[in-house]
Amino acid sequence: MSTAATPVLVARAIARGYRGVRALDGVDVDLAAGESVALLGPNGAGKTTLLTILAGVARSDGGTVTWAEDAHPRVGWVPQKAALYPRLSVRENLRLFAALEKADDPDALAGELIGRADLGEYADRAAAQLSTGTLQRLNLAIALAGRPSVLLLDEPTATLSPDQRLRLWEWLDELRGGGMALMFSTQSVDEAARRGDRLVVLAGGLLLFAGTAAEMTATHGGGGPGAEAAERAFMRLVSGRGEDGAR
Amino acid sequence: MRAALLLLRKDAVLLRRSPALVLVLIVYPILVALLVALALQSDERRPDVAVVNLDTSGRTVAVGGNRLSIDDYVNRLAEDVDVHRLDAADAADALDAGRVSAVLTIPENFIADLQSGVRQPALRLSTSRRSPIEADAINRRLEAGVYRLNQRLATGYVEQVLELVDLVTNGGEIGIFGRTGNALGLKRSRTLVTDLQAELRAAGDAVTAAQLEPLVNFIDETQRNLDLAKPAANAISAPIVLDVTAGAPGREPLSAFGFAGALLVSLGLAGTLLAAAAMSSEREDGALVRLRRGLISAGGLVGEKMAFTAVACLVVGLALLGGVALFTDLAVGRWGLWLGVLLLAGLAFGSFGVLAGALARETRSALLIALMVALPLMVLGLVPDSGVASAISEVVPFGPAFDAFQTLLVEPSIDAGDLLATLGQLALIAAVLGTAAAVAVRRRSAV
Repeated sequence: MSTAATPVLVARAIARGYRGVRALDGVDVDLAAGESVALLGPNGAGKTTLLTILAGVARSDGGTVTWAEDAHPRVGWVPQKAALYPRLSVRENLRLFAALEKADDPDALAGELIGRADLGEYADRAAAQLSTGTLQRLNLAIALAGRPSVLLLDEPTATLSPDQRLRLWEWLDELRGGGMALMFSTQSVDEAARRGDRLVVLAGGLLLFAGTAAEMTATHGGGGPGAEAAERAFMRLVSGRGEDGAR
Repeated sequence: MRAALLLLRKDAVLLRRSPALVLVLIVYPILVALLVALALQSDERRPDVAVVNLDTSGRTVAVGGNRLSIDDYVNRLAEDVDVHRLDAADAADALDAGRVSAVLTIPENFIADLQSGVRQPALRLSTSRRSPIEADAINRRLEAGVYRLNQRLATGYVEQVLELVDLVTNGGEIGIFGRTGNALGLKRSRTLVTDLQAELRAAGDAVTAAQLEPLVNFIDETQRNLDLAKPAANAISAPIVLDVTAGAPGREPLSAFGFAGALLVSLGLAGTLLAAAAMSSEREDGALVRLRRGLISAGGLVGEKMAFTAVACLVVGLALLGGVALFTDLAVGRWGLWLGVLLLAGLAFGSFGVLAGALARETRSALLIALMVALPLMVLGLVPDSGVASAISEVVPFGPAFDAFQTLLVEPSIDAGDLLATLGQLALIAAVLGTAAAVAVRRRSAV
């Protein structure tokens, strides 16, 4: 797998097992600055495991992760379940995590993030009282408190309504425009094709495909309209793994 | 350190925003303290004690102008306990069967030994191992009774000694074997001798006058020694010894013992549960995932929860002590030492709770584990000197914490070495459990 731009992240032969089951088996993945990579796969494919290893939340059993920037890259982590304090207000959550990230002025950064996440009207409301979409925006805002250059998101839109999803992607596109690299997991082929510059398809812990949506469709789709062809290509990839037993 | 302080502040804010939890944290320890104090104090229930009297002489001993017999002593004992006069065999059976909680044996020649002052008579107390707490309470009651009797006997002795000292010094009427006579006394003896010396010197017999000088010196020396008799007599403090053959020889007033137990159970439970909840809610809220990505170390997080618990225990403990000092007649002091003891006990309770919180996946499970493990261990901590149970309670926070609470509430004078050893034990337990909790956090927070 190769990318045109210089990769900020190069992961090779990442492996992880849980009680004898291989959750990841020698997966390679790259991520370049300003790029958006979609991790696509069914339940149990290994998407979350790969993201948690890259985020430093989980250990890998094998393989290497190399960051282009420095030994401690600024990586923002957005888990699927919001990771915050429900009984603190939006502002208090942001201020606390900004202070923990050693921001020079945690109050100012919290205010800035509230503005960027469009959370002004909820700033003094307890996180527990927020709707799912608003909570996800706060979850993302907290991940940005460390001023990351790479953002890893685990199924960020899984529980969102269409309008909430759209709003979130508008913000993520804005971040990408500023040079931030995104890697997100999803089970939606359509979302992966539309929001990802490249797709990484996983199933059963194996890397099945890495490339653009057009390449996937051309290689495995067999023609037809774009969205449907991508869907068919994905289905063939996932089911095909069982037929030949290899990537 | 900065991250730990930020999280400490966050925990304090969350606690303040949970009025129900604050209420539970304050009201619950008070309720538990009341219940435990009542259970341990058991003032209303008089223990059954068998008395075996082996001194059948019928003799009496003078006590402050009155005569004391065995019957008098047993009657006074009956003011504190329900007395059952039994022979030795029946008393042993009753103790075995649990019909009495203790057997008090008055030895042969008890009164005679008391009168002679040559041999210290010893009352023998055998307590049941069925109920160590009650045995401890009986020990304390009987020791208090013996102490009061000793005081009265000592007072009588002192009065008699001082009368004799006065007679030897100043002279006066003395009765021996039914006859009365007049004792000269040291002061008058000295006057007679010095007058005689003066007359001899006036008569030119200085040699004979000088030969009388050692007698004058002897009188002066005797007088000086008798001047020391009064404080020496006052120093007589324990004519009778209570020889306890089983159970723990506590000396504290029962109310202090009860309150120390109440403090242990209330602070122990509140601290353990608070720490377990604080730790496990980090995981349940999902924040642990973020924190462990380099924002704070596992040890730092565990330390923060322990410190949070210690501060909470300090506040609640001081509130309980203040309430007791204000509204009861129990003497509470040593506030400076209490600060250290409550903080260290809180750290140790916190380490125990944090470990439960780190091992459990959910807050509910953490609270259940903490409660189910801590409660029986606390009960073991309350049981005095009971072999294996005591040994177990000494390796968890509750045994040493109870020792420290008792020391501050009860001991008339504190042995600094003993107290430091107890506090060191608490610190060691906190360090060991805290380290185990940090390992658990490190392992469990990694997916």
